[in-house]
Amino acid sequence: MTTESVLEEWLHRCIRCSTCKYVFRQYSPSCPSGEFYRFESYWASGRLALGRGLKMNELDWSDDIAEALFTCTTCGSCEEQCQAPHARSIVKIIEEVREQYVQKVGPLPRHKAFADNVAEHHNPYGNTHHARGIVAECGLPTRADTAFFIGCTSNYRETSIRDAAISIMKKANVDFTVVDEHCCGSPLLRTGQTDSVLELAKHNLAQFEAAGCRRIVTACAGCYRTLTQEYPGLLGSFDIEIVHLSQMIKELIKDGSLSIESEFPGHFTYHDPCHLGRHGGVYEEPRDVMRLLRLDVSEMSLNRANAWCCGAGGGVRSAFRDMAESTARERIRQAETIGADHVITCCPFCVNNLTSSSDGEVDVSDLVEIVDRMSVANPRQRARESE
Amino acid sequence: MGLVDCLNDIVGPKYVSDRVPERYLYSFDMTENPPQRPAVVVMPENVKEIQQIVGLANETKTPLVPFITGQNVGGLTIPQEPDAIMVDLKRMDRILRVDDDAMYALVEPGVTFGHLRKFLDEHHPSLRYTYPLAPPFTSVVANALLQGLCDLSTRHGAMADFVNGVEVVLPTGEVVRTGSSILGDENWFGRYPLPDLFGLFSGWQGMTGIVTKMALQLWPKPPFIEHAALFTFDEEATTQLLQGLVRTQVLDDADCMSLSLVKMLLGVPPPVHAMEGEPDYGTLLSLSGSTKIETQQKLKTLRRIVESPEHGLSRPLLIDWDAITALMGDQAASWVDFPSDAFKILTEYDGLTWVGTYIHPRNWGAALAGGRRIVEKHGFELMAFLKPMNGMHYGEFKFIIRFPKDETTVERVRLCNEELLDHALDQNAIPYKTPVWAAKKLIARADPEFVNLVKRIREMLDPNGIMNPGRWGI
Repeated sequence: MTTESVLEEWLHRCIRCSTCKYVFRQYSPSCPSGEFYRFESYWASGRLALGRGLKMNELDWSDDIAEALFTCTTCGSCEEQCQAPHARSIVKIIEEVREQYVQKVGPLPRHKAFADNVAEHHNPYGNTHHARGIVAECGLPTRADTAFFIGCTSNYRETSIRDAAISIMKKANVDFTVVDEHCCGSPLLRTGQTDSVLELAKHNLAQFEAAGCRRIVTACAGCYRTLTQEYPGLLGSFDIEIVHLSQMIKELIKDGSLSIESEFPGHFTYHDPCHLGRHGGVYEEPRDVMRLLRLDVSEMSLNRANAWCCGAGGGVRSAFRDMAESTARERIRQAETIGADHVITCCPFCVNNLTSSSDGEVDVSDLVEIVDRMSVANPRQRARESE
Repeated sequence: MGLVDCLNDIVGPKYVSDRVPERYLYSFDMTENPPQRPAVVVMPENVKEIQQIVGLANETKTPLVPFITGQNVGGLTIPQEPDAIMVDLKRMDRILRVDDDAMYALVEPGVTFGHLRKFLDEHHPSLRYTYPLAPPFTSVVANALLQGLCDLSTRHGAMADFVNGVEVVLPTGEVVRTGSSILGDENWFGRYPLPDLFGLFSGWQGMTGIVTKMALQLWPKPPFIEHAALFTFDEEATTQLLQGLVRTQVLDDADCMSLSLVKMLLGVPPPVHAMEGEPDYGTLLSLSGSTKIETQQKLKTLRRIVESPEHGLSRPLLIDWDAITALMGDQAASWVDFPSDAFKILTEYDGLTWVGTYIHPRNWGAALAGGRRIVEKHGFELMAFLKPMNGMHYGEFKFIIRFPKDETTVERVRLCNEELLDHALDQNAIPYKTPVWAAKKLIARADPEFVNLVKRIREMLDPNGIMNPGRWGI
């Protein structure tokens, strides 16, 4: 799928100065896989060197390199810390080398399984495809200004996030529908299995257009990154606005479409999903919403561009569960360190990994679940519903 | 049982690898020095595990190569013999103690400058350590053992001079300490009055043992720190002016560099070349005091020397840091906040190398001028860096080359560095962090009895020759 090689563009750049390994000027660890495995090959600088070695035929393509290559969560923290000219291309380089690995050696078995599932069931989990069924189930129109792109993890694993998102939009009287969405392609793009991604993108765009949508909203950070960052490259420009649900919720509360009428006691902190924050640049809107909810919030020391990854992304949770859970436990520990008893995030995949790795001392929720719990429709909407 | 199985038993399989990626990545560094793959990489967590690894190496006659972050800019962690065990020490990264009274920190080898800075800022804000113009994530212990320089070297000397003592696993497996800690765990205050056995490990490039603890001198953080920028012309005039400034004893540090390096800091894209009429060198001067008046008076002292009429037509220029800050904003602060991000100008390509030396002050200017001609002849960017050392008892200079590691450029770099080193040795300069090829050139000119003594000490400490064999070409 790659047309221009970022690996070639930056082939002779990284001197392995280690700056990518730690938060710049803060000196805290930044790389989940490097911290877990500790060998040089598991840091960004090591992976770039492996890419160069492969390109220059100093290394052979073989499954010996798979673990070093595929344990990157693609969280992008290395890009924030690196001070060299190639900084903003590190994740792209790693993904390009993964793509070449899959072409030459083949996908990792666990990654292949979810690619097969996407091909057969349109979602990586292998669940029976049912996205459009939600339209009838929830009484939604078939055509609407806004498409809610549910995302596979919300639709088949963390379904309370899907339900809360639909509930919020209905309370706020948003004109929205759900299309016959297929996997956005994110898990395939991250794991080098790019062959079918263009078809997925074309299918989804056709669905949005057929439903008359001028805006896509998603609660999934991974889908948001793929729709905003990768679809334009795959499909060319298209005239549909893409927003994350946290951004929409902020506007719904501010314009009075949603009223916050209850309190939620406890001490909260916010975990920035990598795909929403570092890759999508959305840091403040979720925090703004938490302020509007009047929650008692403290920041973890690693936040925003320096946030510690949950450990799930890049195909790591499926293929390297130990590392994914260890990384999540570290994030939970960071929340506990500041006395938080609730971690809020904006990504079903983060919720999934943080929850399953937590010992239960800290509750993990998606922002939409909290908003749904605390909000009611505004009085005008309630009046309309009662008529 | 094979080597890998034995190592698995010692540190656990998670921290042993003979896989291709690790063997490849530990086979080279940023320099032009030729690669060699180790047989296996192992990451011990404590002294006992290191002793066991050393024991295994002795039994099997396997070379051991210590590694921490591999950023020595000398190829010093590249194995010189095949089938070596690479001992990566970065898991041993504890700051074990900071003694406020005697002002030292006791650290393990995996501690980096960045981590020490963070720890001191958080827990001992009245104390400071000293930092090199390098990435923050280089090992403090490695730089001290390699006698590197830092941002207090103009006043205090090379980093090995600030070491109170070390704990070492000898090549024969025993654990020894040097310095005052021979009388107890909380007694790492100094090296004297004792036979100074730190010399058995300082500057040996890992040939005499694996250092597992080091006590490093700290200094009170002065309440007032001032900086100024000095721009100068000509190598002889620059080095003479620096000597005069340093001998006033008001400077903490002076980082002098080719103006090309200053232009790189300002964002000029590569390749950066000198332009007719511009100053040849820019120097960052650092000084401190207990009061503002003290620092101002020190600055006045410097200004008086700089503005003396004897400098003739090509007058040097001293600029207050306030003016630099007004021009450059936050960037100016980042240049003087070590460990600094100024090193980022060295990360343009995947290759970085230098020929660096310590030199007699009288030969400093000539060495610099000759080195400049060599670099220009070979067509590389002019990236000289020099520092007055230890109150001007000696000087440091190096010529840095940043380069893409393609075959043609690497060969050009080799030729340039060889010529630079020959030139430096002609000036009786001593190369530091010497790659093997450079050490061989040094040994060829050195007093043979010195070389014999080095070999005899090494044979005495390491009868099986397991510690980093081939290093220094011996």
